[in-house]
Amino acid sequence: MAYPPKPTPKYLLLLTTCLIGSGLALGPSWAQTAEEPAEESQPAEAEAGEAAQTPAEEMTEGQRAAAEAAEKLAAGEDDEPVILDAPAPDARRVYIQDPAHFAAVTQQYVVDGSTGRVLGMTDGGFLPHPVAAEDGSFFAQASTVFERIARGKRTDYVEVFDPVTFQPTADIELPEASRFLVGTYQWMNALTTDNKYLLFYQFSPAPAVGLVNLEAGEFERMVDVPDCYHIFPASPTVFYMNCRDGSLARVDFADGEAEVTNTEVFHAENELLINHPAFSLRSGRLVWPTYTGKIFQMDLTEDQASFREPFEALTEEERADDWRPGGWQQTAYHRQSNRIFLLVDQRDEWRHKTASRFVVVMNAETGERLAKLEMGHEIDSINVSQDAEPLLYGLSAGDKTLYIYDAESGEELRSVDQLGHGPQIITTHDMDS
Amino acid sequence: MTFLTKARTLMAATAMALTAATGAFADKVEVLDTAPEDAVVVNIDQLKYETPEITIKAGDAVTWTNQEVMPHNVHFTAGVAAEAELRGTMLKKGESWSARFNEPGTYDYHCTPHPFMRGKVIVE
Repeated sequence: MAYPPKPTPKYLLLLTTCLIGSGLALGPSWAQTAEEPAEESQPAEAEAGEAAQTPAEEMTEGQRAAAEAAEKLAAGEDDEPVILDAPAPDARRVYIQDPAHFAAVTQQYVVDGSTGRVLGMTDGGFLPHPVAAEDGSFFAQASTVFERIARGKRTDYVEVFDPVTFQPTADIELPEASRFLVGTYQWMNALTTDNKYLLFYQFSPAPAVGLVNLEAGEFERMVDVPDCYHIFPASPTVFYMNCRDGSLARVDFADGEAEVTNTEVFHAENELLINHPAFSLRSGRLVWPTYTGKIFQMDLTEDQASFREPFEALTEEERADDWRPGGWQQTAYHRQSNRIFLLVDQRDEWRHKTASRFVVVMNAETGERLAKLEMGHEIDSINVSQDAEPLLYGLSAGDKTLYIYDAESGEELRSVDQLGHGPQIITTHDMDS
Repeated sequence: MTFLTKARTLMAATAMALTAATGAFADKVEVLDTAPEDAVVVNIDQLKYETPEITIKAGDAVTWTNQEVMPHNVHFTAGVAAEAELRGTMLKKGESWSARFNEPGTYDYHCTPHPFMRGKVIVE
């Protein structure tokens, strides 16, 4: 795309078209004030002018769209409004779920991590739980709606979305009131390793896991489980849970019956495991920090859970200086490089849900500290893309902004703002290798 | 009082007397306003029903008493004590909740906010 270097009549024409293009790109907010163009012309003109002088690779998305629209207009191309498809999913696509501080309806934003561009959105009900098939073939959610917004007959359901059109491809109703309504924990629901089942947790009246057969498009049955929480699938029919007694439960639901066995107790009663462990469905690695940053790791296979030697994420000096993990989704695991990322900051012992400003990076094999990254913002949740050169995602519920960093250097690359009311959950596809 | 009203009153009284006499309309599990003196007592303490399994005779009453600061209750899921669920009130420390069991059977229950707290009443 070429721009005239000096003001000429042609430039003025282009500037005018840029202004119109900016209006198109900026969308409804501009449209609402379009009747008073004199007041709005300054920023639009500035942006158009800025776009005209900015190299294409340095343009913002808004500038790029404005320039493209201007070029088409100048070329005499008609505007043909259509419903867009999202680009095919890749390892850098990231889903941002906004529980919106317990609002009755919620939204999820689908973002291209490489560009920081919102690709689309999905609507959800009350405290929906998002999942994404690791191979990128679909994404889904377990959700809850009521007959009259927040009251009346309750309906729980699972909704599956096409990853390109975002159209629902399945809508499967669940038995009444069986979803556990809770602040969204990433692994309270999960897909089996073959993407055939969505497994959801029931808290009351008794612990149970619901089996939703996505292949058949139907709810299958509830499986009674012991007093255990979270769901970590290790095969098409085997998943693990973390139990109140300090063990993991292995649940095999093949053959119609559920066979439950418990592992050894792997942590003491005063070692409090956080609600947000990291887990790789592809490798079976479960990474589970405590309130103090002690890292427990397990390798889950269909046959068994193998426990690794725990290590401390924080040094003795840091712990003595009140460094502790904290936030919402505090843990991330990069499968290919076998690295663990943990949100930390200095805090009181019982401020474990407040945001953090630092991420420590560790070698999961040795426990060695690889980096301590300063995020520069109040970050509540983190995750990483699973490609070879991963992005580190830092989500601030307070800023309603996703900050995107280079996971190696910690350099902030870009950000995406206006992500709802209180975004908290980051989901990715592990599809790069 | 008109004749019609008198007739209605008489019919209602007759119906109540029949019900009381036969017990035909008594619930499988009746929630009681006060704790009977001869009720079997189940204390609740340290996140447990102290006697998680008790055996009583049909017509006997059970009283649950919470001994700790953490609130608890007694909750029968749908189809156990009645067609609908029976969810006892939350009990603060020192408070009690009683029920009479009129039919033989096994009645599993739990605490609503603490599903890991479970108990059983066996009625012979």
